[in-house]
Amino acid sequence: MTWKVIGKGLPKIDSISKVTGEAQYTVDLKLPGMLYGNIFRSPLPHAKIKSINTSKAEELQGVHAVITAKDVPLNKFSFFQWLADKTILCSDKVRYLGDEVAAVAAVDEETALEALSLIKVEYEPLPAVFDAEEAMKPGAPLIHDKEKNIGFHVERLFGDPDKAFEECDYICEDRYVTGQVSHCCLEVSNCIVKWDSSGRLTIWTNTQAPHTQRQEIARILGIPIRNVRIINSTMGGGFGSKLVIDMKLPIAAILSKKTGRPVRIENSRAEEFSTAKTRYGYTIYVKTGAKKDGRLWAREMKVIGDNGAYHDKGPATLNFSSMMFGTLYNIPNIRYEGNLVYTNKQMGTAFRGFGNPQIAFACETQIDVLANKTGMDPLELRLRNANQSDQMTFCGAEITSCGMKECMEAAARAIGWEEKRRGKGLRGVGLANMVHTGAGGRFYGYNAADAFIKLSDDGTVALITPAQDMGQGSHTVMAQIVAEELGVNLEDINVISNDTDLTPYDLGSWGSRTTFMNGNAVLDAARNTKKEIITVASEMLEANPDDIILEGGRVFVKGSSDQYSFSELADYAINKRGVPISGKGRFVDKLPSGYTIKEGFAKNIPTFAFGTQAAEVEIDEETGEVKVLKVVAAHETGTTINTLMAEGQIEGSVVQGIGYALMEGLTLKNGKVINDGFIDYKIPTFGDIPEIETILIETNDPHGPFGAKGIGEPGLVPTAPAIANAIFNAVGIMIKELPITPEKILKALKEKKGG
Amino acid sequence: MSGAGAEKSLTGEAFMHMIKLKVNGHVQELGVKSHQTLLEVLRGPLELTGVKEGCGLGECGACTVLMDGKPVNSCLVLALEADGSEILTIEGLAQVGKLHYVQKAFVKEGAIQCGFCTPGMVMATVGLLQENPNSSQEEIKEGLRGNLCRCTGYVKIIKAVEAAVEMMREGEQT
Ligand code: FES
Ligand code: FES
Repeated sequence: MTWKVIGKGLPKIDSISKVTGEAQYTVDLKLPGMLYGNIFRSPLPHAKIKSINTSKAEELQGVHAVITAKDVPLNKFSFFQWLADKTILCSDKVRYLGDEVAAVAAVDEETALEALSLIKVEYEPLPAVFDAEEAMKPGAPLIHDKEKNIGFHVERLFGDPDKAFEECDYICEDRYVTGQVSHCCLEVSNCIVKWDSSGRLTIWTNTQAPHTQRQEIARILGIPIRNVRIINSTMGGGFGSKLVIDMKLPIAAILSKKTGRPVRIENSRAEEFSTAKTRYGYTIYVKTGAKKDGRLWAREMKVIGDNGAYHDKGPATLNFSSMMFGTLYNIPNIRYEGNLVYTNKQMGTAFRGFGNPQIAFACETQIDVLANKTGMDPLELRLRNANQSDQMTFCGAEITSCGMKECMEAAARAIGWEEKRRGKGLRGVGLANMVHTGAGGRFYGYNAADAFIKLSDDGTVALITPAQDMGQGSHTVMAQIVAEELGVNLEDINVISNDTDLTPYDLGSWGSRTTFMNGNAVLDAARNTKKEIITVASEMLEANPDDIILEGGRVFVKGSSDQYSFSELADYAINKRGVPISGKGRFVDKLPSGYTIKEGFAKNIPTFAFGTQAAEVEIDEETGEVKVLKVVAAHETGTTINTLMAEGQIEGSVVQGIGYALMEGLTLKNGKVINDGFIDYKIPTFGDIPEIETILIETNDPHGPFGAKGIGEPGLVPTAPAIANAIFNAVGIMIKELPITPEKILKALKEKKGG
Repeated sequence: MSGAGAEKSLTGEAFMHMIKLKVNGHVQELGVKSHQTLLEVLRGPLELTGVKEGCGLGECGACTVLMDGKPVNSCLVLALEADGSEILTIEGLAQVGKLHYVQKAFVKEGAIQCGFCTPGMVMATVGLLQENPNSSQEEIKEGLRGNLCRCTGYVKIIKAVEAAVEMMREGEQT
């Protein structure tokens, strides 16, 4: 199939506004009369609030409002309301260092900060716990008024693992640890909220899921959903951090209600590091058993997820981990147990990969240890267990398109597997596989999306889609789909997505779902618009509808010189026929028969995306430093909609994965994050990046728009295990705790020599 | 994070100092407080919001502008120190609607995702290429080290800068 717009490496449609500084982000907005809010946060990780005195702060000139728990509704809230455990402001107890206690609104930021310093709170410190495994033990300090700190528990069983392990010739058992890491979006989380006199709330904020956040705001404030409108702007990154509201939104709302003025609240970078939500830290116990011939026969995993002080997306994250654990290889006997445990730390939330990078690190490094035991080449072992297209796995996953084998072979070839695997000095190569959703999930019990298109009277196309572009480029993907279907130029398409009053309801941009879900809805809208265009064109051209061609923003009949531009066509439709042209689109992802969310397990995933990464590293034995020389990332895209952007998604993911593998992690001292800036919390810079080779494997998904599936998250999933495996190949040590710092390498090298 | 609201603080010592800046070709005279940074003045009263703040502490490069032709982190420069200098921000780079060749290269190579780092990255690149028009890949990596990007993984930014070097060699100027 040859396409005009699909599959090309086109610049993003918003590139010009971004490269000129014209693009407006939420941090750039200012409203008349706007006040500056700031949040008074707990300085202790766990304590009872004995008294709060705000009188000095209230007296300060320039302060318009000071609020505490007595000024806010004390509805408990969580993303999953049945797990509600957090109020807008703490009334009796604080549960992590940074918990919201009070807030102010003032004429400027300096005054707001000064007012914060005048708030006096008396606390009674309580014993705190910062490690999830410790928090599970009897006698651990209880963080909520519950019998234990385990906030969520899940178990899954397929086959008979106990019996199966007995049948295995090789078994590995290990413990892995991954820590809390920060999203580090360059634009901090921020909002402006205006509570107007009619009782309506307008919220300008950077969000990946405006419609579900709208419901969350209504829920937490106890107001009707219709009273809430959320407006997004250009977004400076998301990566999962902006799916669920944080308390600054309802706090700003209450401050606005009190003052009658719009109120802005913006995280400082230090707040972003030390109080914003993070990737869930996992402690993982894995046991893998294989038969003599390398067939993976049984696998068991126990995850202890560090929830932080309150619930957010943790239960979904733990569940998603289990699905990916069950699907990566088709193993007949599987057991999974997940516990989500409260600690006195900042909360976890979604982060690119959603529980998958954690378990992929454990699963895929253990495969190399296992291969070592069996004497097999780890690539060979993986190939022997690879999934295939049109397959139903033991855990019930319906795999439609699958390029797992192709990804492995491509990555191995590009890294020079055969030759480099033998090692050279302190260099080594390793690879790791991944599976991820390529289309979000059916976790709400359904999965659907809508879109609208109108042909404006000037012949340009306006597309209304709820797909949020946080920088990943969904606006461009959607525009390309329309451009391809309608035969118009990309420049002639306007994408509108930023206002809950205008856009159709949607679950949000997460789970690599926009290309597949919103893309399908947009394609449907474009097809319906095309039908109307053809009706009008056949009348104008006096031709058979079947002969009409749409191309280059014009309609014509093959072989004839008669043609009309889209603006002529729109003009004719509106002014001659009196009927403007538009199209509505809808995509409903069909649920498998007998499906339920709870029992659906891997059936929750509409389509899977596979991938393989291979890494080459060099170790400095003196310093313990790991230098990543090259990463090959071979990923399935179904069909690549935009090569430049698909590569960009993968390159960005790989580099985040390098950060996850080697450098990133929040460090706490008595519950306080001590690396709360980019100086101490290192993310990869220009100096840290290796050569990255991206290979896009096309598998043509039967249900994706033009055969496409999502590629937003997969690139981060296998990077850390590929690097760990390369280190194992280079120097024979397997580090089981992220990040793999030079200290850990040196220690392991020393132990190896000593042993 | 930048604290320069439209309304002046009613508290504290509001000592204002008059400074003169030439910003994107226009001379501006304005009153600033002694602790105000150049970034706060650019984003605040001058409303040049193309200049971004990623950290406010000199750790990310998002706020990079050219001061007398040299790239600086505007969050680390006091407005007072900038008195009398010439400032070029991203808003002043494209001339009458024509993109600077560095901007063109960033667009063409797909070096932009969320775009929040882009203004600073572009200005740092312009500064780097003024200093060293034939920057090698290593020199590019070294020269832009202070500019963080969380989205792109830097690969396409490096390609864009290399393309800009090439464009300049071929004589494309703004
Ligand atoms: S905002 Fe100036 S360096 Fe980050
Ligand atoms: S493009 Fe998002 S930070 Fe660089």
